[in-house]
Amino acid sequence: MILRAFQSEWIKMRRRRLWFGSYGAITGVVLLSTIVTIAGALHHPDRQGDLTLAQLAHASGLSQGLTQSGVLLGAVSFSIAAAQFGGEFAHGTLRNLLVRQPRRWVLMAGKCLAVLTFLVGAAVVAAIFGICAAFVMAHLRGVPTSAWTSGVGMGDLGIALGDLAISACGFAIVGMIFGVLLRSSVIAIAAGLALLLPIETILTDAVPGTVRWLPGQLLEAIAQGGSTGAPFEAAVITVSAYLAGAVAITMLIFLRRDVTA
Amino acid sequence: MSAAVLATDQAAQALGAQSNSYAVVTAGLTKRFGKRLAVDGLDLLIPAGSITGFVGPNGAGKTTTIRMLLGLIRPTAGTGTVLGHPLGHSRAYLPRVGALIEGPTFYPTLSGRENLMVLARLGGLPKSRVEATLERVGLGERGLDPFRTYSLGMRQRLGIAAALLPGPELLVLDEPTNGLDPHGIAEIRAMLRSFADEGMTVFVSSHLLAEIQQICEHLVVIEAGQLLFQGGVEELLAARSPELIVRTENQDDASRLMALVNAAGRTARIVGESAGTTLEIVADCSWAGALNRLAMGHGITLVHLAERRSTLEEAFFEITGSCARAGSVPDGGPPDPPRPPSASGGGGPERQGPDARASSSKARQA
Repeated sequence: MILRAFQSEWIKMRRRRLWFGSYGAITGVVLLSTIVTIAGALHHPDRQGDLTLAQLAHASGLSQGLTQSGVLLGAVSFSIAAAQFGGEFAHGTLRNLLVRQPRRWVLMAGKCLAVLTFLVGAAVVAAIFGICAAFVMAHLRGVPTSAWTSGVGMGDLGIALGDLAISACGFAIVGMIFGVLLRSSVIAIAAGLALLLPIETILTDAVPGTVRWLPGQLLEAIAQGGSTGAPFEAAVITVSAYLAGAVAITMLIFLRRDVTA
Repeated sequence: MSAAVLATDQAAQALGAQSNSYAVVTAGLTKRFGKRLAVDGLDLLIPAGSITGFVGPNGAGKTTTIRMLLGLIRPTAGTGTVLGHPLGHSRAYLPRVGALIEGPTFYPTLSGRENLMVLARLGGLPKSRVEATLERVGLGERGLDPFRTYSLGMRQRLGIAAALLPGPELLVLDEPTNGLDPHGIAEIRAMLRSFADEGMTVFVSSHLLAEIQQICEHLVVIEAGQLLFQGGVEELLAARSPELIVRTENQDDASRLMALVNAAGRTARIVGESAGTTLEIVADCSWAGALNRLAMGHGITLVHLAERRSTLEEAFFEITGSCARAGSVPDGGPPDPPRPPSASGGGGPERQGPDARASSSKARQA
């Protein structure tokens, strides 16, 4: 039954406009991040933390651009998921779906899987373009790329892609939660992005140590393979706990709430 | 026994017996949204295989009732069955139910065919059903066009196609003729008739009372969430006193004829048409000959004599008592002017005004 809901959702996701819009946006974000990261690398660092051309030549250099795109990719993933779920309420199409599939959790699970696979596909496509752009930019900046294609380099790239996919899926699940709870794509996207980006950033700056507790900051840290304020494992565990709780509450509300739209 | 008790008893008995003769049975179905009571103790009996009209003013609770039947809204109180299964187990009966709720809503950029595929795939229905239902509603040639390019009539037909996808035993249509032109309304009417001919139970809500009168055998009238009437349309109309409409050649003759008719034991009144020469007489057409002779015998020339049958619209306004109350007139058009109480003493449906409804539970069972 979940497979049927998944397949049904994919019929909608094959819309050309959604496909080009989403894949285009995510690819654009990764391309931009890759180009800016490599173009901005310095010969000699001005301060601690600056990326240098020498660092780019390491095995992990290929994935530097990808990891920097985590927040923007997350924002796009969040928006797509919020639109997919909130739109069903706002457009009144949810009632048609629930008449054909009265098991609400089945509908929700199938829909969620479809959105996540859609986003993972988008991330893979974007990564392919990002890798191509990285090689072009490396050539332009004179960065040697032999280490990138080594076994270690491929391994680093795989890990970076995995982290990015986990982060994007996390943002998408948060988007789903906002879409279902707020029942409107516009409100969900506006409220969610405001909370995850500026509000969390302000909180992080204002209150030291909060980075390890705020979901948006944690998901960003996951995309980067962990940060000083939020180590990768701790970030994954905390976000998993948050999402499990939030999904359970959202599902409970969705199962019991009247569908009046 | 009061009508309300009778209705509840029948609903309870039908519920208990899980009777196959009713597609939908509810007993005391109630829905409250906060302080607002949307549906108030509704006892429905919808005969299987019938076309049942569901009418009521805007905000009467029709859509809320339909949503409760479809498992979209959880009742606050009450019980019921749909196709023999309890309301709380919608997954047991929804595969055999098709529904169009509050107008057709689809994904605008998907084609009609793709929109139906979304629902067919979700419900585990074969692709062949999509083609069959598109053809059935006359959208076979436009199935590949985006939904957003469809006219209102085509959108309604796609909504009906979506409802027909599972080959339903019960078809629930909420305002299927909303916004359609007369041609489109006639098409939908013919379609509904054909569904009933195939053995489907059709439960259709509409503001177009003339349409309901034409296609429905059974009728449910609600107002303010309460059941005002359910039963056969013909029974409802037959219960209202028929009238003869008479026009005299001269104005003076009208008042003379009224006196003669009243003296003959009938009730007549002059209505404000044709310069006071028109009378409404409570009598059926079998008395037309006697009336004509009566007029001729007194030198009164009639220039018009016809029977006027009650319309569902008149019956509706009488039942709902909405003539005098602003804001409760349905979209089907302005109400007729209030009519004087019948002096025939019986036969007509008992009007249940707001006060009467407030003091008792109101449901009338034809």
